Amino acid sequence: MPQHIVQKYDDELKKLSTMIVQMGGLAESQLASAVEAIVKRDSELAGIVVAGDAKIDALRTQVDDFAIELLARRQPMAADLRIIVAALRISSEIERIGDYAKNVAKRAVALNQAPLVRPVHAIPRMAALVQALIKDTLDAYITDDAAKADAVWARDEEVDELYTSLFRELLTYMMEDPRSITPCTHLLFIAKNIERIGDHATNIAELIHYAVKGEVMKEDRPKSDDTAYAVVNAPGGTR
Amino acid sequence: MDLYTRRRLRSRAVVILSIGAALFGLTWLVLIVGTLFFEGFGGLSLRVFTEMTPPPGADGGLRNAIIGSLIMTSIAVLFGTPIGILAGTYLAEYGRATKLSMVVRFINDVLLSAPSIVIGLFVYEVMVISMGHFSAWAGAAALAIIVIPVVLRTTEDMLNLVPNGLREAATALGAPRYFVIRRVAYRAARNGVLTGILLAIARISGETAPLLFTALNNQFYSTDLNAPMANLPVVIFQFALSPYEDWRALAWAGALIITLAILALNIGARALAGRQTSK
Amino acid sequence: MNIETMERPMQIAEAVKAKVSIENLAFYYGDSKALKNINLTLYDRKVTAFIGPSGCGKSTLLRVLNRIYEMYPRQRAEGKVMVDGADILDPGQDLNMLRAKIGMVFQKPTPFPMSIYENIAFGVRLYERLSKEEMDERVESALRKAALWEEVKDKLSSTGLGLSGGQQQRLCIARTIAVRPEIILLDEPCSALDPISTAKIEELIDELKEEYTIVIVTHNMQQAARTSDYTAFMYLGELIEFGDTKRMFTHPEKQQTQDYITGRFG
Repeated sequence: MPQHIVQKYDDELKKLSTMIVQMGGLAESQLASAVEAIVKRDSELAGIVVAGDAKIDALRTQVDDFAIELLARRQPMAADLRIIVAALRISSEIERIGDYAKNVAKRAVALNQAPLVRPVHAIPRMAALVQALIKDTLDAYITDDAAKADAVWARDEEVDELYTSLFRELLTYMMEDPRSITPCTHLLFIAKNIERIGDHATNIAELIHYAVKGEVMKEDRPKSDDTAYAVVNAPGGTR
Repeated sequence: MDLYTRRRLRSRAVVILSIGAALFGLTWLVLIVGTLFFEGFGGLSLRVFTEMTPPPGADGGLRNAIIGSLIMTSIAVLFGTPIGILAGTYLAEYGRATKLSMVVRFINDVLLSAPSIVIGLFVYEVMVISMGHFSAWAGAAALAIIVIPVVLRTTEDMLNLVPNGLREAATALGAPRYFVIRRVAYRAARNGVLTGILLAIARISGETAPLLFTALNNQFYSTDLNAPMANLPVVIFQFALSPYEDWRALAWAGALIITLAILALNIGARALAGRQTSK
Repeated sequence: MNIETMERPMQIAEAVKAKVSIENLAFYYGDSKALKNINLTLYDRKVTAFIGPSGCGKSTLLRVLNRIYEMYPRQRAEGKVMVDGADILDPGQDLNMLRAKIGMVFQKPTPFPMSIYENIAFGVRLYERLSKEEMDERVESALRKAALWEEVKDKLSSTGLGLSGGQQQRLCIARTIAVRPEIILLDEPCSALDPISTAKIEELIDELKEEYTIVIVTHNMQQAARTSDYTAFMYLGELIEFGDTKRMFTHPEKQQTQDYITGRFG
């Protein structure tokens, strides 16, 4: 797109997107650290993550203030309007991602006090996938790449599938060994949180699509999270 | 000497020269008006307005001359103003860029600055010779010819000053052109045009040369438009050049009357024009 | 999803009808072509805004619609402008009747040098013989519709030149309405007004569209976005894009439109 006649307007939009990217990067590393705290059973690191969420919240306030200021001062139209409105909403999505990362970290502290259970190994795999989603979303955001955003949007299906299988695995595990119920429940919530983060990443992808193309995505996202209907039979059960 | 000081000195020199020139010009004006008032008020009395121009040595006034001037000026304005306004309207409203209007405009400018004696001679040739005698009609005609270009010019200028937006607005309501001119443009230009007419009256009330060849003069009170008619400028001209003391006193009084009348007209015109711009 | 299904019956209820169709319109100032092949439909009882940079031809297009350009020599239009099915560019068209049907309000307020009452009565008298009472009524209703009545009802006989700029402009709108036109053309009606007066005029436009088809030329993009139902973007004498105002200002199709409305023209 050509530059604005008022150069400062370009600078301001750039500043806005820089703030968003910074926020996104922070959320991404919060998630990484939270997962690291689980894998390494590092409660101290988990504590840092919990405390770190305040920074994302603060950034969100800044982004919102700045976006509202831009709306008031520049009275943006068309693409500019969409970019600024999208930024407002993306900041709230990232803030939610931050909240989920914090939740993961909190549960890591609890999990570290319980005995180690095997399905924990599935968590980093799922987290890596979601982290990649966040990263690609942010890339698509910087480069105004609607195609890339669309790809992220489609890829969330993998996360859902992973979550569904982990869900089944955890249920089975708990049935086999009732002592593992506490850590497994925590793991279940952690997995759910990470899966939700993936959903927020796809929301961001949708907003990017809107900002770039000017239209809302029509189709519903393919969902592979079947856990709402999942029934696992007790081993040896007769039902 | 640096540039700034030089410039300041030069500026001061120019200011001093300008003030000097202005004072020089004003001095003469004050002298003229002063003499006029001094001599004129000396000769002015009620008799000036009530009695006829006298033979030398007798008592008398300027009544016939004042009335003659009023009559001829009125007729000139009566005929000259409509022609001037209509022609000015054509130039400003209908034929802004046509060949005809360019020719008319040029001729009008020439006429505007033509010496009035030329106009007097022209009317003398056309009217006085063909009629065989001097007459008030001829005098009025000569004055009307002076009125026309002044009124035409001010009418055109004033109509040109009327914002085009007003014409467009009236036209956009569905008003035909003549209606737009009559009801909107004239109304907006009214004070300006009136000012022009007043200035034209001021201009002709002091003209001597065209009347000398046309209305001549009349010792007696006459309202016959086919006969020569007394008028202030020519009476002043004759009396002022005479050797008789009382005639010269009357000439001063007449000059004062004309000057005061013109002053009043100019002030009136100023006031009208001022109202125009203050809107 | 839900909202879309709710919107649909409303749109059917107020089905749009074409009022003016401009077909292959070209316009010339002497030898220079100011409008090129314009095709555009103006809808009945809707507000259509013309936007575009200075010299893009938006005012020229407006001036074709009541043929006010005919006041000046060497200006001519080619093509068709169908109003209610009749071509107003037809040489046989009665211009005064056309202008009584299609009113126009200009950029600078142009009250006539006469009383407020006479300003309104001026246009009415051209085509109607009304009794004193009928005229009084007409003047009052025009001033009421223009939201000026309360401000001037006690000074109808004083000059229209004594009003403020915003009041003068509303007087001009009242004057136009009094003639009972079907279409009102507004040529940058607020560019000389302060924001409060502008807001009053915009409120007025919103009310007037119940009865009139309105076309507004404006330099102010926000004003076009606020007041209009449809927007036409013009550039260098051409119609670049025309469409629903909501769409034009959120995601225009053409890059040129996008660049203009976001302030990206160099």
